[in-house]
Amino acid sequence: MIRPLLIARDLTKRFGGLVAVDGISFELGRGAVVGLIGPNGSGKTTFFNVVTGIYPIDGGAIEFDGNNIANLSPQAVFRAGIARTFQRSRLSLPLSIFDNIMIGNHMRLNQGLWFNLVQRQRFKQEFEINFERARDLVRVFDAPLADRMFEPVGGFPMIDRRRIEICRALISRPKLLLLDEPSAGMTRDETSKLMNDIFEVKDRFEDLTIIIIEHEMGVIERITDRCVVLNFGRKICEGTYQQVAADKLVQEAYLGIQ
Amino acid sequence: MDLGLFGQYVMNGLMLGMMYALVAVGFTLFFGVLNVINFSHGDVVTVGAFTALATYLGLVALGISSAPTLVVGALLAAVVSMAVLGALIARYLVLPLKSAPSLNTLLLTLMLGTVLHEAIRLFYPRGANPQRFPSLLPTDAYTFGHFTLRLDNVLMLLAGLAVIVAIHLLINKTKIGLAIRAVAQDEETAKIMGINFTFIVLVTFAVGSGLAAFAGVIQGLYYSEINFAMGLLLGVIGFSSAVVGGLGNVYGAIIGGFLFAALQTIGAVALPFASAYKDVFAFGVVILIMAWRPTGLISEKVSERV
Amino acid sequence: MVTGAWRAFIPLLPGVASAAGAAVYLLLLLKVQSQGGIAALLVAGVVAMLAAARFDVMTRVARRVGEHEKAFNVIVVVAVLALAGLLYDDHFALLLVATVIIYVIAALGLNIQFGYAGMLNFAGAAFFGIGCYTAAVLTKNTPVPHLLVLLAGGVMAAAIGSLLILPVLRTRGHYAAVVTIAFGLLFKIFLEVNDALGGPQGLRVAGMQVLGLEFNNNIEIGEDIELAFYVNYIALGLMLLVLAFIFVKRLERSWIGLNLDAVRLDETAAACFGLNLVRWKITAFITGNFLIGLAGALYATMIGFIAPTNFTFGDSLILVSIVLLGGIGNPWGLVVATAILVIVPEKLQAIQEYRFLLFAAMVVLMLLFRPQGILPRPLRTYFPGSPK
Repeated sequence: MIRPLLIARDLTKRFGGLVAVDGISFELGRGAVVGLIGPNGSGKTTFFNVVTGIYPIDGGAIEFDGNNIANLSPQAVFRAGIARTFQRSRLSLPLSIFDNIMIGNHMRLNQGLWFNLVQRQRFKQEFEINFERARDLVRVFDAPLADRMFEPVGGFPMIDRRRIEICRALISRPKLLLLDEPSAGMTRDETSKLMNDIFEVKDRFEDLTIIIIEHEMGVIERITDRCVVLNFGRKICEGTYQQVAADKLVQEAYLGIQ
Repeated sequence: MDLGLFGQYVMNGLMLGMMYALVAVGFTLFFGVLNVINFSHGDVVTVGAFTALATYLGLVALGISSAPTLVVGALLAAVVSMAVLGALIARYLVLPLKSAPSLNTLLLTLMLGTVLHEAIRLFYPRGANPQRFPSLLPTDAYTFGHFTLRLDNVLMLLAGLAVIVAIHLLINKTKIGLAIRAVAQDEETAKIMGINFTFIVLVTFAVGSGLAAFAGVIQGLYYSEINFAMGLLLGVIGFSSAVVGGLGNVYGAIIGGFLFAALQTIGAVALPFASAYKDVFAFGVVILIMAWRPTGLISEKVSERV
Repeated sequence: MVTGAWRAFIPLLPGVASAAGAAVYLLLLLKVQSQGGIAALLVAGVVAMLAAARFDVMTRVARRVGEHEKAFNVIVVVAVLALAGLLYDDHFALLLVATVIIYVIAALGLNIQFGYAGMLNFAGAAFFGIGCYTAAVLTKNTPVPHLLVLLAGGVMAAAIGSLLILPVLRTRGHYAAVVTIAFGLLFKIFLEVNDALGGPQGLRVAGMQVLGLEFNNNIEIGEDIELAFYVNYIALGLMLLVLAFIFVKRLERSWIGLNLDAVRLDETAAACFGLNLVRWKITAFITGNFLIGLAGALYATMIGFIAPTNFTFGDSLILVSIVLLGGIGNPWGLVVATAILVIVPEKLQAIQEYRFLLFAAMVVLMLLFRPQGILPRPLRTYFPGSPK
């Protein structure tokens, strides 16, 4: 039996008296696309933050690719092969598209002082190789965008920014991609375009595993193989979208699921 | 060391601690409501002290000679005018920069502080020199063995404690205090709940600056002297105290203030040959505390939403 | 043939024009003695800047200049040398030019820390002072060659800076601010208490001596022409400035510069993509302080005498003001701001006393209305003449 990529066991995270993540357990297989859903404040983003090392855990365990990643630094989690996007789009707005993507490409770039300051010819070569990589990746999402690699990100609409953010996460070829409400702040059309983008990505990188937090149930229904539903920090249901949507507890939690 | 000297050190430490605590509470209040570091705060102490002095001189020129009237008059003038100044600073300099990186506000307020103390240095008569501050409190002294207890120091200490208690009551037992705490915790929800955000910010800055004025007057009465640069070091100490105690936490600020004073006193006792080093010692310890507990002894409020 | 050469020259015109214009303006500013004349020059300068901003001249010139960067750099160096040549016997004017050059080196250091990595350093004058005092002590007591003394000044500032900042590297920005403010305030007191370093009276510093050439002697050319000795310092300072400029530019245009920006703009996100925040903050702080200390060491040898009163917290704030007014992260902005903030108070005697007040007020206004500064930082172009 193939070992699951991510195993969460009784994961718990407290903020003072508030238990944001309360004993969550589930397993994630390679290549799966799993939706993480639940009402606001149910602990979804906190779960991401705990997995990526932004918060230390208060109980339980997380295993990724056979290794214990609980309480590792965000840098170590990234090196293990987990990349993410953020709920509040965290791009560096004054920097160009290329710059932002290169931040995600950090591990492949030579960071030495001598290389960067003195060996400018070699630096130029590395620059050109990585520029091609970044541009090809952006092209997957939107060809016109790829021609504007050196424009500041702040000047682009939300959908382009989300795409760039996903590119930043993908450029390092992570094993696990965590998408936090990618469709937030976007119109129906933009959301639908973004979904197509994610499908494209899934086609290109077949063994990429994705967890996606979403409120747009249309997205969840279309993209995911499986859903995990959280409420008040606890997992209340797990299954396909259809199974989950029909579950009484889930319906209660949402008080009128769309 | 004899008891008298020990008592002297304790008294001095308490006075300093009280002054630092008053300034630190201001810093922590500003950070709490707006997530800003207001580095003009130390210089507001200076302006408050000079306002009190100028009021005193004015009242004396008008023929008033009763000490209680002079004290109350000078204090009132200082506190009220600094409260107004604080509100103006909030309204026209800090709030407009709300969406800019917090670095900008830190820099702006630091430069504003420079403008304030330079203005005093340049425009107050002979402002570059230290100014004598009148002793307006009764100077009777009671001697217990080697230890001399001065009435004015006791009065100031009691007044300071009263103010600190008043702040505690304001923050915890009044509606406005509740609103301040609400805004500090979650600005958006507070707004949704109907709290007038701008008004609360102005009130907070007014209260903090009023405290600064009070601290400035105490400084003047204690040292019998004020000068235009007195706010610089006081501001940094006040801020460090607030940080050590955990920015955003009023009790932490008070504890931090007394802690810093205690460190300074220990430093002065341990290094009698170079009292200038007492500040280096105190700051050194504070830096170590910050390194050990980056969010302060009582945790800094978690302000960032990831 | 002639038209061909002209055509190559025309794109360089905006660059040449601005460099020449700036040089002429500086020449006038330095030469004019009457206070009224200077005031008039300043008003004219402000009007010209406002007009340039209104008609967006600056961004267009900047773009042109950006396309021919190397040529522009050469033009500026030539302009500075020409300026120095024209002022050859005016000691005071040359001293000002040399001071500007040295301060720009220090400001570039501060810019790496603040403009790129977002690290506030309110002890710039203190680290400058560390460079000065290192030079004073080494030139007086040791046979260390003076060029190495300059390096030593930089190294000392870098070393002491890292000791200062290490405890607070893992914390948020305002903690580093407190630490450097406290250091800036206490440095002067520390110097005054220490008699080994001259105490409040200060220290004499030997003049620069490189390969037998005594910098403090005027240069005689032929029988009639005697160049004020400050030209020596201008020459050395300019060489160091060019090196510092190249260093800073290349740093910005590399993966390291990108990392510094990432650290400044969003630490959390940077961490989630593997950036070692501590490493980059320390890199920025150390290299920045090195430049500041280096500048200080050179300044001490030029000035010949240093005292604690030169290194107050207010002086640190002036350095910070230079970076803020010039345009955070833009080296050319720094040059303009340094020239203004160093030369104007010296020439306009009336405002000497008011300079802290004025600069602080200017920064307040700048932060309220034009936080990008006089010359905002352009988008990163990895190679001169980019983007593709």
